[in-house]
Amino acid sequence: MAKDRSIGDDYVRPIRRLLVGLIVILSLAVFLVWRIDSPRVERMRAAVIDAMVPRMDWAMAPVTGLMNLIADFQSYQALYAQNQDLRRELQQMRGWREAALQLEQENAKLLDLNNVAVDPNLTWITGVVMTDSGSPFRQSVLLNVGARDGIQDGWPAMDGMGLVGRIAGVGDGTARVILLTDASSRIPVVIQPSGQRAILAGDNSVYPALDFLENPDVVRPGDRVVTSGDGDVFPSDLLAGQVALGTDGRLRLRLSADFERLEFLRVLRNPGTRQIADPDTLILPIAPASPQANVDILTVPEVTPGEIAELEPDGDG
Amino acid sequence: MAEVIRNRILLGRAAFVVAVTTIVFAQLLPLNTLPRNWTGPDLLVAVTLVWVGRRPDHVPVGVVAGLFFLTDLLFQRPPGLMTALIVILTEVLRSRAHGLRGMPVAVEWATVGFGLVAVAVAYRLVLTIAVVPQAPVGLAVLQTFLTILCYPLLAGLAYILFGVSRPAPGETDVMGRRL
Repeated sequence: MAKDRSIGDDYVRPIRRLLVGLIVILSLAVFLVWRIDSPRVERMRAAVIDAMVPRMDWAMAPVTGLMNLIADFQSYQALYAQNQDLRRELQQMRGWREAALQLEQENAKLLDLNNVAVDPNLTWITGVVMTDSGSPFRQSVLLNVGARDGIQDGWPAMDGMGLVGRIAGVGDGTARVILLTDASSRIPVVIQPSGQRAILAGDNSVYPALDFLENPDVVRPGDRVVTSGDGDVFPSDLLAGQVALGTDGRLRLRLSADFERLEFLRVLRNPGTRQIADPDTLILPIAPASPQANVDILTVPEVTPGEIAELEPDGDG
Repeated sequence: MAEVIRNRILLGRAAFVVAVTTIVFAQLLPLNTLPRNWTGPDLLVAVTLVWVGRRPDHVPVGVVAGLFFLTDLLFQRPPGLMTALIVILTEVLRSRAHGLRGMPVAVEWATVGFGLVAVAVAYRLVLTIAVVPQAPVGLAVLQTFLTILCYPLLAGLAYILFGVSRPAPGETDVMGRRL
């Protein structure tokens, strides 16, 4: 076979082989570096995505719009039935609205009596979903807001109804949200009436599992699940969903957010979020030497010491 | 004559880049934000293998490496690992492409299938050794299987859309060497 080829090969082939070997070694080196020093390589990944994806947006927006239009058109077929359902639902909602108004007034009176102020720290930035993860093994979306808008790693993202995920990877104009359904998502939650604490563990299925429940007997399907605020991961009392019993017998979560169509997401500004800047640091409980520290974080986040102060300086402030 | 052939190769490369860009673009569209318990074939790998197996001169190794490193980053894979494995696989296939030309399509298909399984196994093995969290086994197996299944389909499509076929006997490349 080799005789078919001309002598030019004798010069080209070794160089080519060297080149290929170099490419393979370089790729494996990147993988190793990623494994050892993940934050730095992930920052590079965010920068690359930040440079690439917004440029494709002009083409992506119309195609996505068209596909959604087709999906909407299919739903017209069930329009009449849907209309009837909506009317019935509206009837019920009127009843609920009355109840809600009365409760709101009562609540306002009680808050006034107790002199309670609602947490003013939780403002939000709204972003539009640009792309999904592009792989069936990963559940994440890319938002069109980033460090430029003051977004930081670790902030929670919600849609109008419930928790959606957590910011992981911020570029200048884009930010990635790891969804609650992703296999690497772990969020501390509390189950409402019983007060049981659990970890909401995504496993690449529509219903993430509730892990590390102390006493599953007191938890019932239908119970409300909200974030617990443990470990400063998220602010507390963000609605995540309702408990459901999975087909495998495990307690799972029916998410409140509408994961079927994520379009606009709110990223909550969460000043208490702690950052890991170096690969070998850990997020630890704040040292007992300064008992004031806990209070400081809650009230004046700007003056928190040490690693917390290493927030990126180019915030929105 | 050489000019014509050079142009043809440039056109072939352009065709590959167009096909691949379309696939990446389609996969990134935010149409499916729900986790699925099924998956489609890995079209990107399949298309690359179709091109490498049939027209290796249209797919330089640099393009393959660049493409897969970029998608490693875009698709949230561990960066570099898939790139290295695919570059090795395409190089092996490239060295065999000349011999495969005279063989029935079934042999080509089997070679590619074997290569895909080897890459999938190696990928999981390395991730296990490096203790990286992995996708469910079922999904990965399904994806490899579907990728192998759709190879002849994509080969047909590539022929119809971009005219990618095995080189005819006596065709020469830029340097005047026979393909």
